[in-house]
Amino acid sequence: MEHLLDVRDLSITYLNKSRNVQAVRHASFTIDRGDSLGLVGESGSGKSTLAMGMLRILPENSIEMTGSALFMGKDLISISHEEMNRLRWKEIAVVFQKAMNALSPVHRIGTQIEDIYRVHEPRATKAEIHDRTMELLRMVNMPERVYRLYPHEMSGGMLQRVAIVISLLHSPKLLVFDEATTALDVVTQGQILEEVVAMEKTIEMTRIMITHDMSVVASSCRKVAVMYAGELVEIGMVRDVLKQPLHPYTQGLMSSFPSLKGEKKQLRAIPGFLPDLSDPPAGCAFASRCPHCTQQCLSQKPVLREMPDGRRVACHLVGGQKHE
Amino acid sequence: MSDKNTPFLTIDHITKWYPHNDGRIHLFRSREKRSWVKAVDDVSLTMNRGEVLGIIGESGCGKSTLGRILVRLESPTSGDVLLGGRSTAQMLREDRKAFRKRVQIVFQNPFDTFTPRDTIQKILMRPLRNYGIGASDEERLAMCREALEAGGLHPTDEILKRYPHELSGGQLQRISIIRSMFFKPDLIIADEPVSMLDVSVRADIINMLLDLAKKNNTAVIFISHDIALTRYISDHIAVMYLGRVVEYGRTDDVIAGPRHPYTRVLISHCADVDPDQARDSLPITGEPPTPINPGPGCYFAPRCFMACEGCRAAYPGRVELENGHYVCCSCIREE
Repeated sequence: MEHLLDVRDLSITYLNKSRNVQAVRHASFTIDRGDSLGLVGESGSGKSTLAMGMLRILPENSIEMTGSALFMGKDLISISHEEMNRLRWKEIAVVFQKAMNALSPVHRIGTQIEDIYRVHEPRATKAEIHDRTMELLRMVNMPERVYRLYPHEMSGGMLQRVAIVISLLHSPKLLVFDEATTALDVVTQGQILEEVVAMEKTIEMTRIMITHDMSVVASSCRKVAVMYAGELVEIGMVRDVLKQPLHPYTQGLMSSFPSLKGEKKQLRAIPGFLPDLSDPPAGCAFASRCPHCTQQCLSQKPVLREMPDGRRVACHLVGGQKHE
Repeated sequence: MSDKNTPFLTIDHITKWYPHNDGRIHLFRSREKRSWVKAVDDVSLTMNRGEVLGIIGESGCGKSTLGRILVRLESPTSGDVLLGGRSTAQMLREDRKAFRKRVQIVFQNPFDTFTPRDTIQKILMRPLRNYGIGASDEERLAMCREALEAGGLHPTDEILKRYPHELSGGQLQRISIIRSMFFKPDLIIADEPVSMLDVSVRADIINMLLDLAKKNNTAVIFISHDIALTRYISDHIAVMYLGRVVEYGRTDDVIAGPRHPYTRVLISHCADVDPDQARDSLPITGEPPTPINPGPGCYFAPRCFMACEGCRAAYPGRVELENGHYVCCSCIREE
């Protein structure tokens, strides 16, 4: 079966006067229809850059993109702006961390939704839009009166739900959540994640969750991709990766994360800092912080290799079949 | 000064009400008729020397206000805090500096904690000079170096010359902890000390704070919305909702066997890192309301899945369970 999104060897570099920051380097992964992928890593690891680059919303005159990202047979990296605009919202939609800040404070939610709807369906009638919005509002457990409210009359959680409703207006095939639940309270975050997962059972939707919170991935995704310093270091099923992380960075992330149940192990941080991405190290990017670093790690860059359980790991110390 | 029976810290019926401006003139209205934001409403807690008390709750539940009252950045509307049996209000009146030496705070945002125009050396030397610690500047500088070295910040000479914007959030938060620990305080309030930091450095900062606290026998009040993290580090947990403590007990008792419906909802909505743990979230309706004139019944009753008639009549009293664990809920019977 053809993949919904097939990213191959995607690199994104921010161009500066003095130095070029290689924020994403040779990322390759695929997502199937109806799948959900969590993209995790610490801040500065390039997870947002990767997604925003794919969606072509980075400033084009100050970045350089190579590689390809095939979405339903079209290469998102090379198609024209007009073509990209046709895909946006109808096929691909994004929910940002503070999506509620994008709402106009002086217009009612309903008016704003109508405007947004008509950008892609200019001839839609008011009743049609109203019906569609009501259907979506019910899906995220919101009362109908929201349609007539102003943004200041609602809480952060409700506004974030409105943002999700807006992103779903045209039933996109691919939905990207960029830290969409990070700023919310525990209960609100739990509710929204539950609603999103339940929604996926009723409508066909593929989802990418960008987050630094492992527990969000654990509770709402099927697959996980771990990024470090612009590179994908481990990709696999959530069940495999979080239960038994193989890459030392994933292991480090997991052991620095507190769990709500089970034994209280000592929390351990990962020592050191991210390498300077304008001059990435020749060997493994994680070598300087890795507890198991060897001579080979410093000189030779590890490639993603496939493990028996289907996941891919980029580490010299973890064996496995060479990919491709 | 304090005998065995008085706990080290007693928070005694602390209340903090802010006047709520509803657009009307209040000049002739009595105190009772005005509308108030009850940020902290009748909170009583005790803790022992060297313990870690976690305070958890959603945003707006008053946990930060409580922390600010404890260091007296805010004064309470009523109630008092006793430190070693002595009233802090009185201590503050008698000798402000002596009180400040005993109680310190670490703030949430390390980027806002420091004066941006001073070097780290200036920032660290100022409190030492103000409180007359060390005989000379050389001695004080040596103390700063030693503390930075112990906190894992090297090279110390380099760090001392830097300005706050030249350091990372993790480094700044370490310096903030070092500074608050200079006087070996009896009590330290950590108000969400790691929520602004990256996951990979959080553990280090927490471990550093706890190590220093253990060394100086400092009591720590850890204010956080991260329940899993609080579980790891605190001995006792107090759960707050709309300015009130709804449940208190030993950490394991509260997390593994929460009794108050709010705590149960809160914990059931927490995502775990283990994907096999099936979450069955308890139902909760509505959004957290604002604490403007709540009541008269249980504040949580409108959203509670267990609410009954009795809940709406009066605010429920404490129900004592084993090991000092208590809940404020009228639907729970004493065992």
